[in-house]
Amino acid sequence: MHIRIKVILSKLGLDVHNRGLITVAKELRDAGMEVVYIGNSFPREIIATAIQEGVDVVGVSSLGGAHLTLGRELMEAAKREGLQEHMVFIMGGVFPPGDAEKLREIGFDGVFMPGATREEIISSIRKIASEKMNKSF
Amino acid sequence: MAEKRGEKKKTTKEILKAKSVRRKRTPLYHPAVLKTLRQEFELWRNSSVRSEDREKWLVTPHTVLGSEIPRQMIYTPLDDPDLDYMQDLGFSGQEPFTRGIHANLYRGREFTMRQLTGFGGPEETNQRMKFMLAHGGTGINVLFDLPTIQMYDSDHPFSKGQVGMSGVAVDSVEDMELVFKDIPLDKVSVSLVTHYPSNTAILFPMYLALAERRGIPWSKLQGSVQNDITLEEVVRSGPEYIPPKDCFRIQCDNIEFIRQNVPLWNFITLNGYNLREFGTSGVTEMAVALANAIETIEEMLQRGHDADWVAERMAFFWSPASDFFEEVARLRAVRRLWYKIMKHRFHAKSPRSMWMRCHAQTSGVSLRREEPLNNIIRASLHALASVLGGVQSLHVDSFDEAYSVPTEDAALLSLRTQQIIQTETGMTEVVDPLGGSFYVEALTNDIERRILDEVDEIEKIGGYVTAIERGWLHHKIAEYFTRERGNIEKGQIKIVGYNVHPSSMELPPIHVFRYPEGVEEKQRARLARLREKRDPERINSALKALEEVCRKRKNIMHYTVQCARAGCTEGELFEVFKKAFGLWKPPVLW
Repeated sequence: MHIRIKVILSKLGLDVHNRGLITVAKELRDAGMEVVYIGNSFPREIIATAIQEGVDVVGVSSLGGAHLTLGRELMEAAKREGLQEHMVFIMGGVFPPGDAEKLREIGFDGVFMPGATREEIISSIRKIASEKMNKSF
Repeated sequence: MAEKRGEKKKTTKEILKAKSVRRKRTPLYHPAVLKTLRQEFELWRNSSVRSEDREKWLVTPHTVLGSEIPRQMIYTPLDDPDLDYMQDLGFSGQEPFTRGIHANLYRGREFTMRQLTGFGGPEETNQRMKFMLAHGGTGINVLFDLPTIQMYDSDHPFSKGQVGMSGVAVDSVEDMELVFKDIPLDKVSVSLVTHYPSNTAILFPMYLALAERRGIPWSKLQGSVQNDITLEEVVRSGPEYIPPKDCFRIQCDNIEFIRQNVPLWNFITLNGYNLREFGTSGVTEMAVALANAIETIEEMLQRGHDADWVAERMAFFWSPASDFFEEVARLRAVRRLWYKIMKHRFHAKSPRSMWMRCHAQTSGVSLRREEPLNNIIRASLHALASVLGGVQSLHVDSFDEAYSVPTEDAALLSLRTQQIIQTETGMTEVVDPLGGSFYVEALTNDIERRILDEVDEIEKIGGYVTAIERGWLHHKIAEYFTRERGNIEKGQIKIVGYNVHPSSMELPPIHVFRYPEGVEEKQRARLARLREKRDPERINSALKALEEVCRKRKNIMHYTVQCARAGCTEGELFEVFKKAFGLWKPPVLW
C-alpha cells in the first residue's frame, strides 16, 4: 500500500532566492506528493505550520549563508515538539563543502546541493521517508 | 498615479514601424551583386555542402539561459541584403549607436572594474573594498546583507542568524559611515546595490547624510543605485511586499529626487541581470528592462519632466551568459533599439539619453558546483562577450560562488580576469571588433526584432506595472526555468563536468569563504546604542511626516532624507511603508 507523502516547503528566513525551491515544489507535486509551499518563513513558524498541516516531510531552502544558524534553530524547535523521530527534515541550497555533514549532524535527514537531479531528490525523499517512518511511500 | 497610456495610443513597436517605413534606405549591396551572390550560394550549397547539413541548415544552440534562436551553418551578405550602413550601424559614438556609445570606446575610457563587495559588518566590508581598490579595482559595488535587502533591522526577529550574510549589514547612517571609512566619496564611483525602490528610498538617503557629515556636496557624488521594481516585486522571495503600483511610484520618486539633487548619480539601473538569473532568456531580460524604462519615462512626462532630463541618467544592467555570439549581438541590438525608442518614441534631443549605458555581471547561475575551476573559464568567456559587446563596466563572478561568497583570493582572481582582458590581449584597442561579421549583424537584427516583439507584448497587456500585477512576468519566468531544468536533465543543454564528461576524479579540497563570527551581536549592540542616543521626538516626527507624504502625491525622498539625518533605522522606514501602502501577495508560481 502506498501512501501519499505530504511535504511542506519553505524558504528559510529572509533568503531571496526561490528558483530552486519553486522547481522542487513543482517536481514533488508532479511526482504525486502533496505540497504545501509557504514561501519565506522562520524556524518556529515552519514547525508550527508543519504540525498544523500534519506533514511527513519538512523541506527548507537556503542559499544565503544562514543554513547552519537557522537550520540549527529549526531542528531545535522540531526536537522540542518531539517531531524529529517521525518527520523527515531536508535542506537544499548553496553550502560550503563539509556543511552537508554538519547539517546531518544537526539532524537533517537529507541535504541537497546544486546539481541534485529531480530523480535524486524524489527517490531519496521517498527512501528516507519509508525508512524513518516505517511506511511504504 | 497618472493614468497609463490610453487605448488608442500606439505601442512602441507601431511607432518604430511607422518611422522605418517613412525612411528612405541606401542599401550597401548592389542588387546585381546580390543576385549573382544568391546564384553562387545556391550552387555552393548544392555542390559542396553535405545533404545532412543542407537538411539541418538551421541548428538551435541549447545553452543555459539561452534564447533558442536557430542558427544557419554559415552567414553571408544574403542574410542582411538590405543593409544600410549609416542607418543600421553608423560609426561608434554616432546614431544609431549599434557600434558603441563612444567614438573611441575603451581607448578613451577603460571599462570600470567594479567587483561586488559585501559581507559581515561594515568594518569587514570596508576592509575588502580597500583590498580591491589597492589591487587595481576602479569602482566600488556594495552588496547589502539579507536583512538589509529585505528591510529589517539587525535586531528584528526575522533577521536572527542572517546578519552580515550575502552582503553587509547596514541599519542606519552610522553603519554607512563605517562602510565608507577612508573612502573618498567625491572621488570614487560607488554602486550601491540597493535592489528595490523601497530600500533605495531608505538606504541612499543614508549615503547622502553621510556625505553631508563629511562636508561633501551632493553634486560631487558619482555612482548608481539599482532602484528597480522588477527586483522588488518579481525577482524576490520575501515575507512582505508592498503593492506594485506603490513600488513603481517610489521608483519614480527616487528618480525625480536624485535627478534634481544629485546630478551625477545614476538613479536607476534597469535590471535585466537578476531577472535573467532567476530564469529567462537574454531576449526577455532586455524586453523587460526596456518596458520598465518606457513606463518610467512616461510617468516622468506625466509629472511634467522632460524625456531627456530623465533618460540622460538611465543605466542598464545585463547578465552575459554562455551563448557567446548571442551575448555580443544582443548588446549591440539593445543599443540600437534603445536609441530608436528614445529618438522616435520620446523625441529625445540629447545623444546622451539615447546611449544604452550598461554594467554587466557574468552569469552566476551558469556556474557549477562540480569541478569549480571550470567556472573560471565560463566567467572569462562571459566577460569576453561583454567587452566585445561594448559594456561600460563589469563584474566577473568568482569560481567558488556555488559554495559561498567568494574568498579574497577568488575575488582577486575575478579582478585579474578583467585586468588580463584589458591589458594583455589588445582587445580593447579596436571598437566593436565583431561589427560587420555577417553572422553577428544578422543575429543583431534578429534579436532586436525579438526584443521589440516582447516589449510589444508587455505594452499590449497594459504596460509593465500591469504585467507585474497580473503575474504575467512571474509565470513567464517560472515556465522558463522549469523548462530549462528539464532540458538540462534530458541532456539537451550540455554542461561539461556535470551531464557531459562527468568525472569521478577526486578533486583537491576547495578553500571557501566563512562568514566572520560575532557580526550579529556587534550589529545589535551598535543599534542599541543608536536607539539610546537618538532624539525620540525628532525620530517620531520624521517618521510621521514620511507616513503622511506616502499617502499623498508628493515625493517621499525629501522625507526619507530627513529620516536618515535624524538617525532612523531602515526597519523603521519599512514599517511606515507597510502601514501606508499595505501588503501585496505575489502570484503563486508552482
